[in-house]
Amino acid sequence: MTGHPVLRRLAPRLGTSLGLLVLLSFLVYVGVEALPGDPVTSRLGPTATPERVAELRAHLGLDRPVLVRYGEWVAGLFHGDLGRSATGQPVTAMLSDRVGNSALLAGIAIGLLAPLSLGLGLWAAWRRGRGADRVISGGALLLVSVPEFVVAGALVLLFAVTLRLLPAVSLLPVGASPLSHPEVLVLPVLSLLFVGLAYATRVIRASAAATLTGGHVEFLRLSGAPGATLLRRAVLPAVLPVAVQVWLVTGVGFVGGAVLVEKVFGYPGIGELLVASVRTGDLPVVQALVLVLGAAMLAALVLADLAVVLLTPRLRTGVAR
Amino acid sequence: MTRKLLGWGLFGLVVVLVLIGPELASHSPTEPVARPYSPPGTGGVFGTDRLGRDVASRMLHGGRPLLLTSLVAATAGSVLGALAGIFTALAAPRHRWVEAVVLRPLDTLAAVPPILMLLLVLTALPGRAGLVLAVALAGLPLSARVARAAAEQVAGRAHVEAAVARGEGWGWLIGREVLPLVAGTLLADLGLRFVIAFYLVAAAGFLGLSTSSADWGLLVVEALPGAALQPWALIVPVLGIAAIAVSVNLTSDAVSRRARGLVA
Repeated sequence: MTGHPVLRRLAPRLGTSLGLLVLLSFLVYVGVEALPGDPVTSRLGPTATPERVAELRAHLGLDRPVLVRYGEWVAGLFHGDLGRSATGQPVTAMLSDRVGNSALLAGIAIGLLAPLSLGLGLWAAWRRGRGADRVISGGALLLVSVPEFVVAGALVLLFAVTLRLLPAVSLLPVGASPLSHPEVLVLPVLSLLFVGLAYATRVIRASAAATLTGGHVEFLRLSGAPGATLLRRAVLPAVLPVAVQVWLVTGVGFVGGAVLVEKVFGYPGIGELLVASVRTGDLPVVQALVLVLGAAMLAALVLADLAVVLLTPRLRTGVAR
Repeated sequence: MTRKLLGWGLFGLVVVLVLIGPELASHSPTEPVARPYSPPGTGGVFGTDRLGRDVASRMLHGGRPLLLTSLVAATAGSVLGALAGIFTALAAPRHRWVEAVVLRPLDTLAAVPPILMLLLVLTALPGRAGLVLAVALAGLPLSARVARAAAEQVAGRAHVEAAVARGEGWGWLIGREVLPLVAGTLLADLGLRFVIAFYLVAAAGFLGLSTSSADWGLLVVEALPGAALQPWALIVPVLGIAAIAVSVNLTSDAVSRRARGLVA
């Protein structure tokens, strides 16, 4: 294959991602449809007569073959139509505000995560084995496996119950943006941040520590380069590609974490809607949400790859090692 | 070393408490014993929840299903992953299709975030079986990768080649020739899978998708609205889940460090 080295590396990646997305959409649509749960029976309840069930099925178009409906669904996706919810509302309208709210939550969390994890990771690696490193690494190890909703529960106890500083739930007037009530964002962002920060800091610390013990860093240090030069010339170039990758992977992790955190605070994002739809068996909404989340996740992974290519000279220029 | 001791100690304590818990509980997990949101003292050691049920008894009853479900699901995922991984390591050099048939689908599976997997599978198959399936599916691809990497270092050895030449079946090759040599790595991997399994099972309880009546995750979500009235109903399950998550993580971190040392 010819072309710019960046393109050459990214094209197959993009292709795989698109393939995955198509596969995911098919599995989600056909797989979920093939399952015993049925939006019609869950909506009408166990006492519904067979005639009423058949009538509603026909009304919702569920009496046609699943492949035909999948085709229509995919065709609809191209002009932003995600189908109709089991409650009859168009899914696109149900999602529109919530997608923005969730993106805002994740965006703020990543925006804070990147500088904090880089700073903490580098600091811990620089002082490895000493007090600061023990506190940072130990704290990260403790937090990394605790579910987001447990961290959120602890934050509610501290900030809402004991200190009474912040609201325990993030309820918003219908249609209002979280930005007009910034206080509802604080605890959800912190809950996401803590768990992601623990993971990102651990990886960045490990990468920076490995670089710092390398021969070229030792050489620079022995030739009398000050710490700042060392950081700029040797450590950052090695750590940044890893860090970017970790931030985006953590961002993908926020997809799952946000489902839990939005549920804790009743934050009006897509995670909260997803949980509610799973519980009521509202398949069209679940299908749409999984597709949206899957697409966001694959986009993040492709972006991570792009960032790594741009930050690594050997990959960027296509010159072999 | 201290981390490992701390991890094992804390983990052992919690596991013993969880396993004998239902025997220690003074009340049923579902029966109201005092007014809703009674403070500690009048309604048991940790007070009562929004329906007047004893928080301490609910904790003691809720731990066992949480822990056992996580263990079963993590083990199922690990065992299937190990089989797939070792099989690929043994067969891939001779049969090129194996990698495409066994590992590619697993890679696709690995691209789905665990919580999404949980929600999808539980939409289809609500209840304990769906929960175990979802958690096993979430762990399987990573277990398969680890098992494959470990088994590849063993697959070319003379005793394996000799067994292949004798015409031994897959069961013998995997179970007798390779498994004993990679068991340490697989056990360390099981530790990691358990961390994730526990996270997911607790999350399912929290999302109200578990079948247990007193899952710790469920205790958290039920206690949130009344946290200002009866904070203990929230503090106790939060501490319980954190204690297990942290101790398992400390232990598996120490074990996998050692295993990595052995492999390298």
